Amino acid sequence: MDASPPRGTGMPGADRDPDRSRTVVVTGLGAVSPLGWSLESLWEGLRAGRTAVGPFDRFDHTGHRTHIAAQVDLALEPRRARGKPRRISAADRFAVAAARSAVARAGIDPRDRCERTGMYFGSTTGGMLETEAYLSTLLAAASGRLGPPAASLLASQQNNGPADAVARELGIGGPVQTVSAACASGAMAIGDAIQAIRRGEVDVAIAGGSDALCRLTYAGFNALRAVDERPCRPFRADRAGLSLGEGAAALVLEPLERAMARGARPLALAAGEAATCDAHHMTSPHPEGHGAAAAIRAALSDARLDPEAIDFVNAHGTGTPLNDAAECAALVAVFGDRTADLPVTSTKALVGHLLGSAGALEAVATILCLLHGEVHPMPDDGQPDPGLPLRLILGRPLRLERARHALSTSLGFGGANAALVFTRLGDPDLAG
Amino acid sequence: MRAEAVVTGLGTIGPCGQGREALARALLAGKPAVAEVDRRAGVHREAGARLAGLVRDRDLSRWIAPAAGRRMCFPSKLAVAAARMALAEAGLDAADTGASRVGVYLSTTFGAGLFTELLLKQVFLEGAETAQPFYFSECVANAPAAQLAIAVGARGPNMMLTQRESGPILAVARAAQAVREGRVDRALAGAVEEVTPLLHALLDRFGALALPSGGRAEMPRPFDRRRDGFLAGEGATVLVLEREDAARARGARALARIGWSGAGFDSTAGVSDWGDGHAPLAAALRAGLDEVPGGVAGIGAVVSGASGTRRGDLLEARVLRASWSGDPLPPLLVPKAVTGEYGGGILAPALLALEGASFGPTPGFAEIDPEVDVAPHSGAAQPAPERVLLTGLASGGGAAWLVLERAS
Repeated sequence: MDASPPRGTGMPGADRDPDRSRTVVVTGLGAVSPLGWSLESLWEGLRAGRTAVGPFDRFDHTGHRTHIAAQVDLALEPRRARGKPRRISAADRFAVAAARSAVARAGIDPRDRCERTGMYFGSTTGGMLETEAYLSTLLAAASGRLGPPAASLLASQQNNGPADAVARELGIGGPVQTVSAACASGAMAIGDAIQAIRRGEVDVAIAGGSDALCRLTYAGFNALRAVDERPCRPFRADRAGLSLGEGAAALVLEPLERAMARGARPLALAAGEAATCDAHHMTSPHPEGHGAAAAIRAALSDARLDPEAIDFVNAHGTGTPLNDAAECAALVAVFGDRTADLPVTSTKALVGHLLGSAGALEAVATILCLLHGEVHPMPDDGQPDPGLPLRLILGRPLRLERARHALSTSLGFGGANAALVFTRLGDPDLAG
Repeated sequence: MRAEAVVTGLGTIGPCGQGREALARALLAGKPAVAEVDRRAGVHREAGARLAGLVRDRDLSRWIAPAAGRRMCFPSKLAVAAARMALAEAGLDAADTGASRVGVYLSTTFGAGLFTELLLKQVFLEGAETAQPFYFSECVANAPAAQLAIAVGARGPNMMLTQRESGPILAVARAAQAVREGRVDRALAGAVEEVTPLLHALLDRFGALALPSGGRAEMPRPFDRRRDGFLAGEGATVLVLEREDAARARGARALARIGWSGAGFDSTAGVSDWGDGHAPLAAALRAGLDEVPGGVAGIGAVVSGASGTRRGDLLEARVLRASWSGDPLPPLLVPKAVTGEYGGGILAPALLALEGASFGPTPGFAEIDPEVDVAPHSGAAQPAPERVLLTGLASGGGAAWLVLERAS
């Protein structure tokens, strides 16, 4: 299925901004997800409401409490995305493939004036999967059971690995910055990229995130009893936790003026962004969603939109009892009585929680929904929580051909909140 | 007129001790602040590195109540303690920060190493079901930033940057932008790092650390011909940033003004090494310094991120020499030779340099490397600079620079 925009090339949404040099548009998208290594496979899976959460074999999980996750099929990695596998981690590979795809769609070569291209990426564990293999061998060696591991076992191990790998692969020469803000990392990285373009620091920003499944996060979330034994069911009455996933997403962002000058087709306006912190608790969100509501309000203000303008919400929607309740409270605080009629979906119901890249992949999903004029569904596998007054999109996509503005929320450990607002471009009939 | 961001508070805890005075004494003495690393776990190489810049004074009870500290990993405690120290110097207390418009911008390279190790050991050796949830929630990279926000009630953006050696500069630059643009009223910015025996052993196994030789303990030797690696160091440095007009209005003393900042990437770098693409980095740095009053001549000292690595120091020297276009470089202060790499090792020394602190001779330096062709600070008396340049070239390719100015 074609994931590119189905409509024309006008940019009515941007006309609201008297200073076009500060208007930031999305000109490229790329994603590697448990639904596949392409944007097309992502959209096809999202639209079908088909969950990729299920049995997995990335590592031995026999001793864990749960036994499902959404993993990327490494065997399907496109040949052209393969770098030097001995020295780059799975998270790096996801990032490189997603970024290559986004750049190709945008029709840019980052090596052109490479110092004016920046990289803004989120990751929470970088090459932890590979680090774990090294450490387990090293610990076994320390107890005399094995010889010391070869240094080559350790791929790029830190959280900056995915961003560095992309920058190296694409020849980027501008700022490279990795944000680690737990599950809000990807969204915050996109927010930083938007700011960098508005400030004129870079002409092009590649923004997104990447994380791979690893024992650390799988054991950790299980220890917190935050993982559901079944595929996660955000906002449902019987929800019992999240499902972990992996993958990467990348957006190419640039000033509207630049995109127009080079004849590019903007996919969406990156209209607003904001980040806040609950300053409340390390693992529990503020029960009334104060921080999340503040982030949403600030992002709407940044986009110069009233809450009434938002047509649908791609929620953080992890499926944990506390997160979903707090997020619903935040939405009610911002959207009031309208919340019950506001379409809400959660991409995590289909691909799991991608942690540091969740916000980025959900930004991509949000833009795809805007482009296709429909909100992707969650699987229809449980009764909505009657205590959460939300209009959940279940089972089938919701046609919203006139949708123009969408909100994507990300809420993370430590109370990190981020909100992004995207506006559909390219439909003169909707100029308003 | 552009709003300016100034530093009004400095908190620093590291191998030299707690607070600016302990750091200033160590920088003047010009001697690495080292301690023997615990090798009992058996993960070290026999002939490998033995020393690190460890925080020996771990009593943080002046800044963190024991009941609160027991819910934190060591890096979180360091960050909270350094932040409270900085707030105290800025004349602010927690009530002043309990607003939605205070941001936190920290950096780390490795995060909470001990808790990560403990959690993984449980999974590997004792079974996944024994995993402690507390270890997990505190081993996420942003835990120190989040704990800091909780401790002081900072409800603005909360960000942990993880870009290795360039991270501390990126964090301060990012915070300054937020202050200037009015996105936050105040920001707490800096870096935090923990060096565990396992991390030390890993860095050694990858050939990153200076090594003992000829029966003598290892010594980081920035820019020296014999340099063979860095000294790993831990600690935290947090700065309070606010708008200059707001700081003056409340009668606060500005320690420094944040000047130009820039960043780049050397795509010739390997995954865990420095590259040889000095020309584009130098062009970026030079273009930025041309915007600084007086250009490169306006830089009174460089607070260099050099740490004693073969390729990192070479790249640093080449970038600086090319940026200065053959003109003499200002004094090169190399505080990581004293504090070790990581933990924001250059942030606090840069502020001290602006205030006119005397730096002793650069430890470990004896002989110019003809290829590098620069010499670090000799210990000779220097006038207090009006402006200092901080540099941070990261293994893997990242680069960041920041200018700090004396605030009149």
